[in-house]
Amino acid sequence: MEEQIAELVAKVAELEAASAGAAVTNTMFAETFYYLSIPLMILIHAGFLAYEMGASRLKNVLSSGVKNILAFAFVIPTFYFFGWWVYWGFPTGLPGAPGPAGISGVEYANAIAWGWGDSAQYMGPNIADQASGVFFGAFALFAATTASIMSGAVIERIQTVGFIILAVVLGSFAWVVAAAWGWHADGWLVTQWGVHDFGAAGLVHAVAGFFALGVLINLGPRIGKFNADGSANHIPGHNMPLTVVGLMLIIVGFWGFLMACVIVPGEAWSWFGDKPSTIYGTPITLSALSFNILMAIAGGIIGAWLFTRDPFWMMSGALAGIISTASGLDIYYPALAFIVAFSAGIILKPCADWLENRGIDDAVGAVTVHGTIGLYGVVMLGIWGSGFPALQGAAGEVPTISLVGQIVGAVVFFLLGFVPGYVVSFILKMMGMLRIREGAEIAGMDLVKVPAAGYPEWGGDAPVTPAHPAE
Amino acid sequence: MFPYDEASWSVVDGAMFMGWGGSLPGFATFIAVVICIAVLVIGQRSETAKAKSFDK
Repeated sequence: MEEQIAELVAKVAELEAASAGAAVTNTMFAETFYYLSIPLMILIHAGFLAYEMGASRLKNVLSSGVKNILAFAFVIPTFYFFGWWVYWGFPTGLPGAPGPAGISGVEYANAIAWGWGDSAQYMGPNIADQASGVFFGAFALFAATTASIMSGAVIERIQTVGFIILAVVLGSFAWVVAAAWGWHADGWLVTQWGVHDFGAAGLVHAVAGFFALGVLINLGPRIGKFNADGSANHIPGHNMPLTVVGLMLIIVGFWGFLMACVIVPGEAWSWFGDKPSTIYGTPITLSALSFNILMAIAGGIIGAWLFTRDPFWMMSGALAGIISTASGLDIYYPALAFIVAFSAGIILKPCADWLENRGIDDAVGAVTVHGTIGLYGVVMLGIWGSGFPALQGAAGEVPTISLVGQIVGAVVFFLLGFVPGYVVSFILKMMGMLRIREGAEIAGMDLVKVPAAGYPEWGGDAPVTPAHPAE
Repeated sequence: MFPYDEASWSVVDGAMFMGWGGSLPGFATFIAVVICIAVLVIGQRSETAKAKSFDK
């Protein structure tokens, strides 16, 4: 009998040791999962860098790149200084009361997201906390992505410091408020309206796209973009292949972006012990992402190819395909994702032309690809995904996805982007910090901003030609 | 179009996409196939027409 008990005790000890090992493995996996999403998302920036520089004329190629690099560099620390705190502090809105999930509110944010006092333990190396840094890193890269989206729209005429201020307002504040409200289990858009935006079509893409629109209204078009009769000219960038490869790199980076939207299982902070979830605590699988992202990329490209035949718009169509389905990548059926993405690819160029015919010079179509298609995707999910529970909980106790809720979300995301973009750029304009002087714009911004030449042995820019028939 | 009677994730133990158990998945697949074929037909026609314009 004693021998049997001793055997049993030894067996239990063995099982406990194995269980502890499995827990360590899972923790390491969880940490690595988010850690690896960070360099993947940096590819988004490599892509935007190539895309913007390719879309710039020779005389502006390096200054466009410098601007994009600086946006990344300033958004990361400012997101550390206050953006992370805003995300955790205000999901329930003002004044920052705690929400039902117990992971929000100013008091909670004060405890985990400031870089001083006791909360600093969660904002630096800590052997007892293997999650905060990688979560922060993934979110900081979302933040930098928003700034990069805006960056492309304003090339070839914006001042560097004015742009950086706008990038910080967008990347470390405007989209963060949208994320707190619509991308958090305690977010009021989620708990009250059932808003579902798994892949951030609205709260990243639409916010950034319409922030850019607000800026473009005050910034004005590049010299030579519009004729006296209001018709638009096409100002060709110096390197279309670079732009197209840049767009493909953005697509690669989006796998990291969307991967980082998944909450891995088995940790103290996980929603489930045995399966991954969305940020709302609803189930998701990486297979869902693989099926739907691939079908969406394909649908967007095919839709854009049908009427444009232009590789720039085709790769923009790939982006539009992902963005149009991003809100529901966890629950779309792949063929349906393909159809929605195809429709986004078709409407892309007409939407961009519509905007251009109203005097908006969006150099890379960012307002349309990210703003318009972002909202399109949020609303599409309201049509196709109505009735899905938006949170964990018993039927009748949790909100469900609805068309009305998604429209409310779309309106809020539009306002959270457009209003700060317009107001801050207006203030910068009044202070003379928004647009570069005319002489410098004509001479080329590289001469003013960069002590180097992109292609020192090359000639001038390609000719400017009519963009499309005026309405 | 939540594919379960009760609007709660706790009852979900399998397929969880829109329209599961109904005709939507099959119908959407059919439409997607039609789109691919139609785009190829349109693409072939327009490219041929454009190419012919360069005939001497």
